[in-house]
Amino acid sequence: MRVNPNFTPDILSDLYTDENQADTALEQLASGQLINMPSDNPVGASELVQNQAELSQTDQFIQNTSDVEGLLQTADSTLSSVVSSLNQAISVGTQGANGTNSAADLQALGQQVEGIQSQVLGYANATYQGNYIFAGTATNTPAFTLDPAAPDGVTYSGNTDTNTVQIADGDSVQINLPGSQLFQGSGGDVMGALQQLVTAFKSGNTTAIGTATTELNSAVNYLSQQRVFYGSVLQQLTSNQSYLQTEQLNLQSAANTIDGVNLAQAANNLSQAETTQSATLAALAKVIPENLLQYLQP
Amino acid sequence: MGGTLLSSLLIASQALDVDQGGLDVTANNIANANTPGYSREVVNLSENTPEEVGNLTFGTGVSIEQIQSVRDQVLSLQIAEQTSQQSGAQTELNALQQIETLFSSSTQGIGADLSAFFTSISQLSTDPSNAALRSAVITAAQNLAVSFNQTAQSLTSNQLSLNQSVSQTVGQINTLTQQIAQINAKVGEMQQLNQDPGSLLDQENQLINQLSQLTNVSETQTPEGLTLTTGNGTALVVGNQSFALQVATGASGMQDVFSEGQDITSTIQGGVLGGTIQVRDQDIPGLLNQLNTLASQFATSINTAQAAGFDLNGNAGQDLFSFNPAGAASTISLATTDPNAIAASSDGAAGSNGNIANLMAVESTNLPSGDTPTNSYAAMVSQSGTLAAEAQAEVTATTTSINQLNDQLGAISGVSINEETTNLLNYQNAFSAAARVVSTVDELTQTVLSMGSSSATAS
Repeated sequence: MRVNPNFTPDILSDLYTDENQADTALEQLASGQLINMPSDNPVGASELVQNQAELSQTDQFIQNTSDVEGLLQTADSTLSSVVSSLNQAISVGTQGANGTNSAADLQALGQQVEGIQSQVLGYANATYQGNYIFAGTATNTPAFTLDPAAPDGVTYSGNTDTNTVQIADGDSVQINLPGSQLFQGSGGDVMGALQQLVTAFKSGNTTAIGTATTELNSAVNYLSQQRVFYGSVLQQLTSNQSYLQTEQLNLQSAANTIDGVNLAQAANNLSQAETTQSATLAALAKVIPENLLQYLQP
Repeated sequence: MGGTLLSSLLIASQALDVDQGGLDVTANNIANANTPGYSREVVNLSENTPEEVGNLTFGTGVSIEQIQSVRDQVLSLQIAEQTSQQSGAQTELNALQQIETLFSSSTQGIGADLSAFFTSISQLSTDPSNAALRSAVITAAQNLAVSFNQTAQSLTSNQLSLNQSVSQTVGQINTLTQQIAQINAKVGEMQQLNQDPGSLLDQENQLINQLSQLTNVSETQTPEGLTLTTGNGTALVVGNQSFALQVATGASGMQDVFSEGQDITSTIQGGVLGGTIQVRDQDIPGLLNQLNTLASQFATSINTAQAAGFDLNGNAGQDLFSFNPAGAASTISLATTDPNAIAASSDGAAGSNGNIANLMAVESTNLPSGDTPTNSYAAMVSQSGTLAAEAQAEVTATTTSINQLNDQLGAISGVSINEETTNLLNYQNAFSAAARVVSTVDELTQTVLSMGSSSATAS
């Protein structure tokens, strides 16, 4: 049977194939990626886009969590200071109510309470990164201003709105309580009780001082209950943080499964392609000069 | 006449001619061993009509009946067919490989910018009145708009450069069909004179192969000669006549191909022209369409979410993006670059982040197109990759098939040096032998001529 005497195109196309394989293996080794162009694996490439989006979302959730933690910790520790200031006011009140104090003593104790009042006011106007944290969402103005004419001795200029921040896919946390709820709540009016105590000391009426102290006591209890909110959110954030870090690892390993080069295999492919190539070249060198003319003596 | 010295001389001298002719053909085959498209020629020898002398039959030697080139028209047709598929796929591949680079990175481009835009908004939720965080949102939005613009512009400029090559390719097609028609005319003349138009057919096959690289053609042999048409039957060459294709701007604003006043653009398949038109009129518009849909629906969704909230100053949220519906991706831009304009607030207070949930919802909610923005983009990535991968697969498949067909054709028509060398030796030997016959007859004739004189001297 007659065969195609011109085998150069076949051998050349074999050589191109070998070179192509070597190129691919080399590119994979150099980039560490299986997918250098969408056509390398169209489905994988689109999965990578989604994976990348989820990963950056997760990174952002981790970022959000730690940003919000700062705010919540500030709020929590501020409230703890408020509670201890108020406890101090309660002991001053208890001392004032026992009936053994002179007018001058009462006046001194009253001044002490006034000091505590302005201290609490300061705490209620606490800021985090320039924002008033107990002003609801009206964070650019102080939450409370001193107003002796008001029944509580202060006016609340914040609002009753709250903010929530997303910390995971489908999971958001509330990050603030409005000051009106914390300090002027219906269950315990901290500001009102303080003002009542100040007024009672000014009047020198020990019974009134006693009533106001009791009032303040229940207000402190109420505030402590409210404070639990911050503690539990902080706890939630901590557990969320570790969940997000696991999620981050999962996404990274998923991306690696799609795109990561098995280095050993790529190196193996490269050396295989090189071996095939040199074998083809050796065959070519041997075969091309072979023809009948070689054997005919001139 | 048979059985005489003279007849032997005649037979031998004819044999010399025939062997000379054989050597000639062999030489021509060897000379064209590497000529592309050359079909080897063989010498068909035939015995001359024998001569009856009495009851004896004498052979009268040999003559060359025909010098024939060895070809297989069916294989040539298949090769032409595969060639046009291959060059069409290769043209598509070249264009699509440029296009897929636009979608190649998962850490840059529209996909990454979409993520960055949404993470910047998510970050803003932790401190909605923070000027730096607000600026970051504006920057991310701007990057995203620029990515949309650049991707759309690159797609369009790829489309335009393909468009430019259409008229160039049509020009080449017209030149080739003209040449083929001229050869057709000569082939017809030779065939009428019963001559073998072998070398002309080789040339014609080469031209048809070149033409096949440009567009898919079908060949039919008619009494008037070869007829060439495009895949859908538009005549290109009929006998010695060629029909030029024309190029004019069509309804789409692109260069369309016309034949005899009829727009045949959409029917052209295969070859450089078919591949170019496929990418120009189908693949790129498809991607561009998806991109425009994504840009306009994304921008509209964000603007709607903006309108549901209040900006930093407590005013109702205004549009963040603006675009021209005629080409959303290439025209999308920021309606405002004021960081305060981001409508994070749901109650009008500066510190509220209540509307960020609405803005963020755009990331996870299906657009009217049926997919989230990120998934819509991911679909485009996969689409661009699939198109290129399919073209690559077709190139590989047709290349393999062309190699095999060429092997088959080579087995029939290719020049084998070994074979030609063998023929060369055969003709050389036969020539020497015939020459020896001539000299032997010459000697004998001398002997016969000197018979009288020498015998006279001797006697």
